[in-house]
Amino acid sequence: MNDLLANYEQYPNTWDEMFDDSGKVRTIYSHFGKFLSEAKLDSLNQMKEFSNQFFKNQGVTFTVYHDNKGVERIFPFDIIPRIINSNEWEIIEKGIIQRITALNLFLKDVYHEKFIIKDEVIPASLLINNHCYLRQMMRLEVPKNIYTHISGVDLIRDKNGELFVLEDNLRTPSGVSYMLENREITRRLYPNLMPIHKVQPVDNYPQILYQQLKTLVDKNDPEIVLLTPGLYNSAYYEHTTLARLMGVELVEGSDLVLDNNMVFMKTASGNKKVDIIYRRIDDDFLDPLSFNTDSILGLAGIMEAYRQGNVCIVNAPGTGIADDKAIYSYVPKMINYYLNEKPILKNIETYHLSNSEQKAYVKNNINDMVIKKTDGSGGYGMLMGNKASEDEIDIYFKQIKKNPSNFIAQPILNLSTSPCVIEKKLVPRCIDLRPFAIYGSEKIKVCPGGLSRVAMKKKSLIVNSSQGGGSKDTWVIRKH
Amino acid sequence: MLSRVANNLFWMDRYMERSYGLLNLIKTNYNSTLDSGDYSSWNKIMFTYLAIRSENEYKNHQDSISTIFFILFDKKNPNTLINMVVKARENARSVQEHISRELWLSVNKFFLHLTEEDVILKYRKSDPITIVNELLQFSHIYYSVADITQERGTAYCFMNLGKYLERVVQSIDFLNLRIISLDDKKEDLYESYFFKNLLISIGGYQLYLKTYKSIYKIENVVKMIAINENFPRSIIYSVNKLNVHIGRLNEFNQIKAGELNFTVGKLKNHLKYSTIESIKQNGLEQFLDDIKFELNKISNSINKTYFNQIL
Repeated sequence: MNDLLANYEQYPNTWDEMFDDSGKVRTIYSHFGKFLSEAKLDSLNQMKEFSNQFFKNQGVTFTVYHDNKGVERIFPFDIIPRIINSNEWEIIEKGIIQRITALNLFLKDVYHEKFIIKDEVIPASLLINNHCYLRQMMRLEVPKNIYTHISGVDLIRDKNGELFVLEDNLRTPSGVSYMLENREITRRLYPNLMPIHKVQPVDNYPQILYQQLKTLVDKNDPEIVLLTPGLYNSAYYEHTTLARLMGVELVEGSDLVLDNNMVFMKTASGNKKVDIIYRRIDDDFLDPLSFNTDSILGLAGIMEAYRQGNVCIVNAPGTGIADDKAIYSYVPKMINYYLNEKPILKNIETYHLSNSEQKAYVKNNINDMVIKKTDGSGGYGMLMGNKASEDEIDIYFKQIKKNPSNFIAQPILNLSTSPCVIEKKLVPRCIDLRPFAIYGSEKIKVCPGGLSRVAMKKKSLIVNSSQGGGSKDTWVIRKH
Repeated sequence: MLSRVANNLFWMDRYMERSYGLLNLIKTNYNSTLDSGDYSSWNKIMFTYLAIRSENEYKNHQDSISTIFFILFDKKNPNTLINMVVKARENARSVQEHISRELWLSVNKFFLHLTEEDVILKYRKSDPITIVNELLQFSHIYYSVADITQERGTAYCFMNLGKYLERVVQSIDFLNLRIISLDDKKEDLYESYFFKNLLISIGGYQLYLKTYKSIYKIENVVKMIAINENFPRSIIYSVNKLNVHIGRLNEFNQIKAGELNFTVGKLKNHLKYSTIESIKQNGLEQFLDDIKFELNKISNSINKTYFNQIL
């Protein structure tokens, strides 16, 4: 063992993906353990440099806004992949398919008959007071009854190594292009190690996405487009990559026109009908006639075209009601209610602050709690009980008092760590996992791998890219 | 193909062509100031290429080196090299699914090179010719990568429309600004460096020598730049290319572009049957004005036909 491994200091009370409690390398990482024990720090740094340059040249960047100017940054990447064995992956895959199936049935239900409310499995107040619940979607027949075409379920591992679902991203989850680029780069970095591991490929994600989208309409060669907010959107790189790899047009709202409640795109040889829109803009901006009236990103009247069945919108508008943080706690019940099955993947215990007993419990145990807004995302607007001062907690609780149903609390879980090369050292950093699932008319397919997001700051639990998070490649090992 | 995408492809190549022209001009002008010691030649470039109307706007740049750095790196003037490459790259970025991966990489690398933090610092220490040669390499790579990797489809045609429209404008400007004011009696005409640099700046020095040996005559220069079909920077060469790519576009996309076909065909034939005698008869200025008028029509017609822009 060289200094690199000997100096690796695990976080206390935390599961490490590569090392067990005694500091021994786990079997699945044995080749990497050997590699790292023989590696020189300098050469690891060179690999890191190489990958940074690779991303820069490829233009794999996201835009951050600073001084009113968009600056392109590369998404921080760590060179050591995260490895998942085939047995565990099978559980993840089944668990995600089960969850998405139930959530999709839930969406169909809440926008039509609302059996789950009538049977009092979920309180009606959760829907009524929720701005993610779109009245425009009520009684609207979506093609093939699919709402959640593309989802990215975030998973984390607690200190005992058990997996939990952190949230279900059913709106427009991003990050899949980084999953693809991370694989491109690890292929270059580990020409010897990769083949030994027999890693499941992720490169066919765009083809699978295209095939799955194609099943949504009964037409041999449907016109599929990807709708982007434009060049200055932070995820623009991802939009161009997916459009390029799927071989579809990347359109902006201004490229679309509506005629006789059908959607067309303006091309150099006239207007062309569009059948399926994979939109990467939020519900709010989709149609100024139905939602945010100020928006010019979408297309006025598109909702009516959708309602008439002339165009398919992916994901369906209104899926936000199913990945809302308050609804989240009911997903195990949904699985039971709609599928009569036991949930395969666990939920994190969630307390509703609108419930006075639960609120009192949260207050008494605030040191172990994180409080989140039900409609928050990106790691913003949270209160970490163990980090906040008493004043901050008081101010936050005053906010809660105004609208208690807008807040939930969860115990703080120590995210598992994975070794990373940071500032010329091998150090543990917290990670999560976002696999991507695609729902076509036949079945749900989960891409074997996903994006392992990394909290690049020491001891931080926040992996969001907007707050300095990075990522690493995820290797799912093939079954023997 | 989306009209917006077509338009972006068109402008991607226009900006690349324009930056290539600018780099060549810097190189030869710098060379000629070394021979002549006359820095006022930068004024014309500042005026035509950077739209700087008065000397006050760049009075801090009274020597070649600082003028060159201004033309290359000034961020405020929209026509500097850096800003043109930024725009070319922005256009490329938005059409990535229509251009080859390699082409995108070549534009992006050009952009990254120019926007590197210490590039100006690094360049301060080198000689201008070395700098410009290094930058010209990026243009050369761009053209060759486009040639060997880009499929000959609609996207390629739009890129070429941009490229040749820009090039023909440059050739006309060249004749307009650098030749028209000359008459054969002017003394320094007989200084060989003058003609040499003039021809080098438009990339025609070698061809001129081969065709006319070392006899410098304005008539010959005009002939070569206006109506020599084999000179890739001549007016007629670019117009022929425009004609080819418009024809292909209409064939690929089944467009009936009567007006556009007519205008470009007419200009093509006008040039085909022009001789140096006929040009002299009406005067070079009139000849160039007529072409400019037709080019404006073509440009408007391209906008209307393909880019959905009605002016």
